[in-house]
Amino acid sequence: MNRYNIFLAIIWLSSLCYMTACIEDDFVQDEVDAELRITNTIDSLEIGSDFQLESIYLNNIGSVEQVVITWTSSASDILAVDAQGLIMALSEGTATITATFQDGDLTLSDSRTISITSIPVAPPVFNSTNGTIVTTSSYILTGDFEYIETETGVQLNFSDNYSASTSLPGLFIYLSNNNNSINNALEIGGVDVFNGAHGYDISGVGFNDYRYIIYFCKPFNIKVGEGEL
Amino acid sequence: MRNLISLLIVMFISLSSIYAGGPWPQSKGKAYVKLSEWWTIFDKHYTDSGQTDPNLTTGIFNTSLYAEYGITNRLTTVINAPLFSRNYMNNLRSQTTNEVIVEGESINTIGDIDLGFKYGLTKPGANIPISVSLTLGLPTGNVSGGKLGNLQTSDGEFNQILQIDAGTGFKLLGHSAYTSLYTGFNHRTNGFSEEFRWGVEFGIGLFNDKLWLNTKLNAVESLKNGDTAETITSTSLFANNSEFTSVAFEANVYLTSKFGVSASIAGAVRGEIIAAASSYNVGIFYDFN
Repeated sequence: MNRYNIFLAIIWLSSLCYMTACIEDDFVQDEVDAELRITNTIDSLEIGSDFQLESIYLNNIGSVEQVVITWTSSASDILAVDAQGLIMALSEGTATITATFQDGDLTLSDSRTISITSIPVAPPVFNSTNGTIVTTSSYILTGDFEYIETETGVQLNFSDNYSASTSLPGLFIYLSNNNNSINNALEIGGVDVFNGAHGYDISGVGFNDYRYIIYFCKPFNIKVGEGEL
Repeated sequence: MRNLISLLIVMFISLSSIYAGGPWPQSKGKAYVKLSEWWTIFDKHYTDSGQTDPNLTTGIFNTSLYAEYGITNRLTTVINAPLFSRNYMNNLRSQTTNEVIVEGESINTIGDIDLGFKYGLTKPGANIPISVSLTLGLPTGNVSGGKLGNLQTSDGEFNQILQIDAGTGFKLLGHSAYTSLYTGFNHRTNGFSEEFRWGVEFGIGLFNDKLWLNTKLNAVESLKNGDTAETITSTSLFANNSEFTSVAFEANVYLTSKFGVSASIAGAVRGEIIAAASSYNVGIFYDFN
């Protein structure tokens, strides 16, 4: 083998290397149970008033999909509901409103029980829930949080015990309906607080719109932590 | 851009094992030139706790020209130029729907060029030659490629590595052999942590020195005195506070008295914020000595 042939062999080997440098596919296991969810609720309603219930259907990857929902009332003489989820308080008592989605053998539903009274109803109290962020990687990421409904959206507040590794690169926080994926998730923003109490105001988001908080490392394209709402 | 897998260090793992290197400067007017292909593909990395976590599959390929030239019998200039550097990331797809969640992308550009000078503290032919070297890592590559800016062939900082090498040649079972060691300090700009580096190498010549086999242990310890994710937000692939201990094995075959081919494999056996995968190198070299 002369030098020229060796040179050609190296060029060929280099070309082979670059050919194997093609972009291929990595897969994330992102299947979740489909869900029908009533996203805004009230506990009670005054006779003669109405309220628009809203719902979302989340498919098997946690993405919102437009489907036909059927609304029913357990006591139409107390609380009537139309095809769009508008409820009307007719007489005193209690009724359960159910939203149903049917697709072949799949039947999903969500219900709310509402009391109808003859006295004025106090304005609804804002919802809130507490939870804990846990790491799903070997980076430190932990802390308690409170998720609070506000007039304009939601507020996510972390406690003093929040701690995240400062080695975590390109760390972003999301709200998602799939705890394995940021597909169709809401990106809250880049994380710039790694220790102690802090919070995020997120406008335009309903209290029941999302189920999970996800911490995602963008450069690695991998989830590193999560919390359930 | 301080916060991810240190591709620079990954590159160093391999490059340092293929350098003519050591404490031996070139003779005046003599040179050593090598054209090589280096690559690594990794889907996991060492985290800050030293454990390995998965990441989107990432590939880095470098076509580099390395050359040493003896300005005097004691002073040698060294250049390592990644003339073509490719960095890519795979698509991230849903296993359920096959939908692309994060689109893969790539960049093809030049890498960071290292320019160095090595000075022999001992006279040529000394039993235990000792040399000092200064290597300047020039940020000539791309610091922010791709739609998200997280593909790079450069960290965008200026390395200044001061190093001292010592070694000796000897006979082992009738074969030519050598051993060398080095220690150095890397001062880095733009908020990157400084680094302490050291390594040892052993090589043996077989078949009348037609085949040289060597193994090398390299280590980089970060002083962790630079920026962190707390002080700067980035989606960069280049990391700060990376460190590792790596082992490399290399074979060089002289096909003629001056011309030969080489192949090597290297990988970290311990690390923090660094790719957890082997790197490979194949090349051709010409030794003008």
